[in-house]
Amino acid sequence: MESALISGDACVDSWSDEEVMARVGDIARGPLAVAATRIDAQGHYPLDIMAALGEAGALGVHLDSHGARFGLSIDAMQEASRACGATGFLMWAHDVCGLYMEQSRNPLLGGERLDAHAHGRSFGGTALSNPMKALAGIEPMMLRAAPTAGGYLINGTLPWVSHIKRGQYCGAIAAVHRNDGSVSHEVMFMLDCDERVELRHCPVFSGMEGTSTWGIRLTDYFVGEASMIADPARPFIARIKPAFILLQVGMALGVAQGGIDSSLEVEPMLGHVNRFLHDRPGELGAELEDAAHQAKQLAQTPYDGSTDYLLEVLDLRARGAELALRSAQASLLHQGARGYLMSAAPQRRIRESHFVAIVTPAIKHLRWEMARLCAEEFPA
Amino acid sequence: MSTLATTWKKFVCRACGLIYDEELGDPDSGLAPGTRFDDITDDWECPLCGVTKADFMPYEPAVAASCGERRAAISRKEGVVVVGGGTAGWAAVEALRALDADVPITMVTACEGDRYRKPELSVALSQDKSPETLVTEYGRDAAMRLDVRLLSNTYAVGLSSALYQVRTTAGTLNYTQLILAQGARPAMPAALPPSLCWRINDLAMWTGVHRTLASGPQRIAIVGAGLVGCELAEDFARAGHAVSVLDMNEQPLAALLPERASQRLLQSWRSRGIAFLPARSVTLVESTSSGKRIVHTQRGEALHVDMVLCATGLGTDPRLARGAGLDFERGIVVDPGTLQTSAPDIYALGDCISIAGEPCRFIEPIAAQAETIAHAVLGRDHAGYRHKPPVLRVKTRSLPIVMRGVPSRELAWEVVDEDAQQLSMAQYRDGNVVASLDVGQKNVEMAA
Repeated sequence: MESALISGDACVDSWSDEEVMARVGDIARGPLAVAATRIDAQGHYPLDIMAALGEAGALGVHLDSHGARFGLSIDAMQEASRACGATGFLMWAHDVCGLYMEQSRNPLLGGERLDAHAHGRSFGGTALSNPMKALAGIEPMMLRAAPTAGGYLINGTLPWVSHIKRGQYCGAIAAVHRNDGSVSHEVMFMLDCDERVELRHCPVFSGMEGTSTWGIRLTDYFVGEASMIADPARPFIARIKPAFILLQVGMALGVAQGGIDSSLEVEPMLGHVNRFLHDRPGELGAELEDAAHQAKQLAQTPYDGSTDYLLEVLDLRARGAELALRSAQASLLHQGARGYLMSAAPQRRIRESHFVAIVTPAIKHLRWEMARLCAEEFPA
Repeated sequence: MSTLATTWKKFVCRACGLIYDEELGDPDSGLAPGTRFDDITDDWECPLCGVTKADFMPYEPAVAASCGERRAAISRKEGVVVVGGGTAGWAAVEALRALDADVPITMVTACEGDRYRKPELSVALSQDKSPETLVTEYGRDAAMRLDVRLLSNTYAVGLSSALYQVRTTAGTLNYTQLILAQGARPAMPAALPPSLCWRINDLAMWTGVHRTLASGPQRIAIVGAGLVGCELAEDFARAGHAVSVLDMNEQPLAALLPERASQRLLQSWRSRGIAFLPARSVTLVESTSSGKRIVHTQRGEALHVDMVLCATGLGTDPRLARGAGLDFERGIVVDPGTLQTSAPDIYALGDCISIAGEPCRFIEPIAAQAETIAHAVLGRDHAGYRHKPPVLRVKTRSLPIVMRGVPSRELAWEVVDEDAQQLSMAQYRDGNVVASLDVGQKNVEMAA
């Protein structure tokens, strides 16, 4: 009896699928829809909304301890991103941070600390943009680690890390350098943004200003066992990479859905001329549905380590980005002058869709990696 | 030209890509034009992202790769999309163009799309061919001649049949009809890793083998004594290499030939110095520090060779078809008369298909398949494709083998004619010939 209760963990939180979606829908259409302009135009960091989403289960259901419900997690992120892409991105950053904590199997990152994170009582993001590209061979690793007694000393600068501020945290990776300067391996750790970390203001971005994005500078920042996520980091990254990318699809599809909403909104008034446009809401809606179906399938097996699975995830992520771009662009054309007002949703969403297309993994990285995975391997 | 100007250096921020140009300096942070990077203090920060001087590195602009001409922008103009630039893909294009000069055609191919005769690959080495002499027409030339938009070095990664959309590493393409000619790829057992073992299924692979063998005679282990393995064994031996063939069966071509016939093949191999190791399965291939290979068998043997060639058969990659929900059974399932897949407006031909559960990986039927599909795509009348097993020729030059009909495992082979040079056999059902076999030919050595 007792074990049945524990295995049905989701019941403990009352995070049933239906309830999570109902509560996320209320937040997205209510306070988040109201805050979207402020988040975009004034850079408001919506931690209050993130807390509400956490309480609703939207930030925890993908975790093993809550049933590894990736499909639900993506659906929730899609629903929020439909109202505000920046918040969708915060959810993704928060989700993968929780994933690092749980998958690390480090008890000091699990337990109460993970519980607080999963419920949106504490906040943290991810600093893996540069490492993901570095491990794929696209650019060099920015953080350097030197072995020291009981751990590593980390030095270096990351130009932009989202969903952090003083007192928050993020998952990060550093390359471990030997004495001769060569790299032995990489370590992944939880970077606590305490007083040891220099947080620096970033230049103004074209969008996503409410994501609390900072430059980080580390000088002999000590990382010990307590903060270690994975040492070495590569096998860990290989294992979580499909899940890391798959979760972003919620943001992409949500921005696309928001664009379709905006096009549909003016259909009663402008449908008679809008029918001359391409990328009509019906057409894009069918594509969105097809992509959502693919997402649902892939969400069943987020830790499938096969090349075919990763390829499908990359394909889905790329089509999500293309769909977001087309959908946002179409919404502006459909809305015409009203969509050209600076306060109009299409103005914001176009910049959000640009973000979906260029954030790691960007469309170009996705195609680059798909080509790499498709290529025949030959003997050297 | 001032010689001084050429000595200005540039440095790039590793984080954000900002370039510090010594000639221009960075007046906003107090660096006058002409400030050398070395003279900047270590605490200077990137004016864009804030990283410090240590995160800059010398910037030498790379010469942009000339990929522009073949990466034509994806247009929304729909038309026929052909996936695959091998024999089957080009056959489909030729058949379409023969009927219609205007229908837009886009070809997506993982290779350059260069055209060559694939059967030649298993006899080319001993004929001293090179990759250049094997190519009959460059892909870009064929594309121009046939008015095809060629997306070479591009992979098809996703397919949504309901949306009439194929996704590629060069973007998403919409189609009115899709023709899958993706071919088959070597099916390699886990013991034969692709990083250590060569195989020959296309010109790129052949080119790699050709390059590797260019340094002179080598010891080669061929794993698999099927059609391709047998042809390559003889070709490599004729080219002067020491060849050993391993197979799980007791005889080469065991699935095809009765023992009496394969004995003749073995005899011919012996005279060419080809060693056959029957009843062997490879348990492990490893690489030595000097780049040689060691092939381990289930009997505990360790064969030291220079090259391992895997010829264990082909399989169709199911990913694209399965992702789109197309029926798949050892290949993309097609209607035997129309060659349409289980989805409307998607056709398939060549090595990637299966008809009645059987793949058919021969060149001969492809032209008829292409013609059938071209007629269907363009809405023209056509009698339909009629599949018949092709005549099978094994290109073992010292002992050519020809098989006609459909041999049956249940029927016995009977000798029709036999002498020192030639063996003719046949299978009969109710007095009718169902399959015939000719091994060797009279006076072949004199003619050679």
